[in-house]
Amino acid sequence: MKCARCLLQLQCLRLVGQSARSAAQHGALLRSASSSQPDMLHNTQVLRRFHGSPACAKSRPVPAEFINEDDKKRDEKSLVAHDDLFEQVAKEVKTKATFNKVVDVFIKRDIRRRGHVEFIYAALKKMPEFGVERDLAVYNKLLDVFPKEVFVPRNFIQRMFNHYPRQQECGVQLLEQMENYGIMPNMETKVLLVQIFGEKGHPMRKYQRIMYWFPKFKHINPFPVPQQLPEDPVDLARFSLTRIANDLDAKVTVYQLPSTDITESGEQITLPHIVGIQSPSQMELLAQHSPSRPVFVEGPFPLWLRKTCVYYYVLRADPTPPDEKVEEPFDPERCLAFPLQLDLDLDRDFGDEESFDVEDLDEGPVFAMCMTSQGDQAVLNQWISGLQQNNPILGQVPTLFRLDPGPRELQGPADTESAHHHRTDRPQREERQPEEDEEPRRSQGAKW
Amino acid sequence: MSLPKITRLPSVRLLSSIHQQLLLPSIPPLTGPKRAVSQGEYRRPGQPKVDKFPWQPINFGFSKGFEGVKKHFALLKKEFSDRWVGPQGKPILEHMLEQNQVLWEFRGPESLEQWTVSSDQEIGGQSEVHLKLGKNHNTCLLYGTLSSTPPRDGETRYSGYCTMRSKQPLASFDRKKHYDWSSFNTLHLRVRGDGRPWMINIATETYFSHQKDDIYNYFLYTRGGPYWQDVKIPFSKFFLTHRGRIQDDQHPLWLDKVNTIGFTLGDKADGPFQLEIDFVGVCKDYAHTEEFAYEVYKRNPEI
Repeated sequence: MKCARCLLQLQCLRLVGQSARSAAQHGALLRSASSSQPDMLHNTQVLRRFHGSPACAKSRPVPAEFINEDDKKRDEKSLVAHDDLFEQVAKEVKTKATFNKVVDVFIKRDIRRRGHVEFIYAALKKMPEFGVERDLAVYNKLLDVFPKEVFVPRNFIQRMFNHYPRQQECGVQLLEQMENYGIMPNMETKVLLVQIFGEKGHPMRKYQRIMYWFPKFKHINPFPVPQQLPEDPVDLARFSLTRIANDLDAKVTVYQLPSTDITESGEQITLPHIVGIQSPSQMELLAQHSPSRPVFVEGPFPLWLRKTCVYYYVLRADPTPPDEKVEEPFDPERCLAFPLQLDLDLDRDFGDEESFDVEDLDEGPVFAMCMTSQGDQAVLNQWISGLQQNNPILGQVPTLFRLDPGPRELQGPADTESAHHHRTDRPQREERQPEEDEEPRRSQGAKW
Repeated sequence: MSLPKITRLPSVRLLSSIHQQLLLPSIPPLTGPKRAVSQGEYRRPGQPKVDKFPWQPINFGFSKGFEGVKKHFALLKKEFSDRWVGPQGKPILEHMLEQNQVLWEFRGPESLEQWTVSSDQEIGGQSEVHLKLGKNHNTCLLYGTLSSTPPRDGETRYSGYCTMRSKQPLASFDRKKHYDWSSFNTLHLRVRGDGRPWMINIATETYFSHQKDDIYNYFLYTRGGPYWQDVKIPFSKFFLTHRGRIQDDQHPLWLDKVNTIGFTLGDKADGPFQLEIDFVGVCKDYAHTEEFAYEVYKRNPEI
């Protein structure tokens, strides 16, 4: 790897440089060494100016072509705060290219990079506005703003006493912003850090910590969400429904695609997308549900995928009261690979209790889930009608709608006396009485 | 001229001036209530000064004292009688052989008393968090809104967190009691979240004052959706952090003196959140033989 070789060579050069004490020898040696090196990194300025100490670098006149680049960059000669550079560029389109241009202007302005710490802090603050906060190349370019070799401690006293603390803190802050956005640094970052701060500085330690902990925590999410979520709402709904379905056999059905129609009177009607999911076990449960008891459409419940929140609706029923529960015997031919029911009379030891001593929470079966952009009753009715195709029992079962935004949990068996009910439930309950008469008629009449 | 002033005791401020001190070094200055700085607590800029003596907020009423006496002596009696049953009030066979123990079940309003919620409003942020019992008093619901705008005090850079932490168990007379989970090795939770990543914090009893903010953390990824999620996290996966910063010297969590457990949300997504918890328990997974998931490397490694 090019970068690894560069790193090794840097280390050798430093050792060589330390052994040769005189500055002239130093200069000659390094110049000969640098001339033999090809330009490994695209930051060629480093290898060209391998000066032993800042005192050696007399101010090299900035080449004329960099001074008169653009009209708006002409005021680099005046005393401007570094935010202003970004402010000027902010008036036009903020992209990665403009950000890189600003950094280039700063780099070429002064060989000694005066005020680079403030510039880097300002740049770090402006990164989200330009949309480059997740771009590793931009961070490396920003790290390149630091002058190389100047802040590297050269003896044990300098190493002991936090050499150039402001610059080290700035380097640490840059790495911390990378860590906040979850960006893994690469070999180029390491080479840059070694060139700028040496091997034992705080930024290098921070880099080592990032490189230790990030790989450990990268794949521990059992339900990973991709960085780039699908933009199409139907695809996003499909992804999130398969995620919450908890069943690999579940099938996603798109009942309606989003479309915008213009009627004759010129009105614009937007049809929302309706995507539903149901698994075979849910279908079975729905088929076993008794038609005398209602099913509820509840929602919207929030689901967070990184920074976006989508809402889903649930079709569920209250748990069957214990007296109505029917124990169906297992059909032994349903699964020939292993017996589904074993009645062995094993005596388990006291220490072999593998289940917790909590009562099982029975909140009632969930029959299907759906996601739609517009969660009103008409749209959800369409969903139920679509479900009815595969679950004919929905034609006979009364469907009640409990649509209520706010912190929600799945409602358990109706408990009107409880004082802990959600406040908006009470107006909902009044609405439901007339609905109860309408719903059975609607679900019977609706034909797809 | 200064002598008649000294005899007037209420003029305490004069006593503390330099002239008087030179003349009367033996009298201790009877100064007024000091600011919270002397009590060792940081007072955030902008918060009102607490100008009371330390004993003034304490309620010395009789009814409170009587209730306290009843409660603490009952606890003391229970402690004595528990020793006859076995360690920690359970028969010895049960204590030695039990594989699962339910620590917190949310079955009534008194179960919410064992938990404290807090958010970044304490440092001036705008997140809100509330805790209530779920439907049918079977679960607890932690809900609220996150807002990651940092407070404008010039020193805070990041904000936006909410947390729920269990209270330290107390024995009679408010003595600290610790959980002993040394016979278990896995934390088992039954939760229903909304897809947000949470963090579980376990705080143990420490010896040095520097270790006060030592917390062992691990992530709790929720799936979201209407189905309950069983989460099993072995204690060997918890890593050590101090004040939110992961430490270089890692060691496994010591289970013999655990103080509190907590759940924190700090993903930088602004908006409402909710987490329902059915129960929190510990169990012993015989199939899990890992002692610690993280290696400890040298203090000063070479590049």
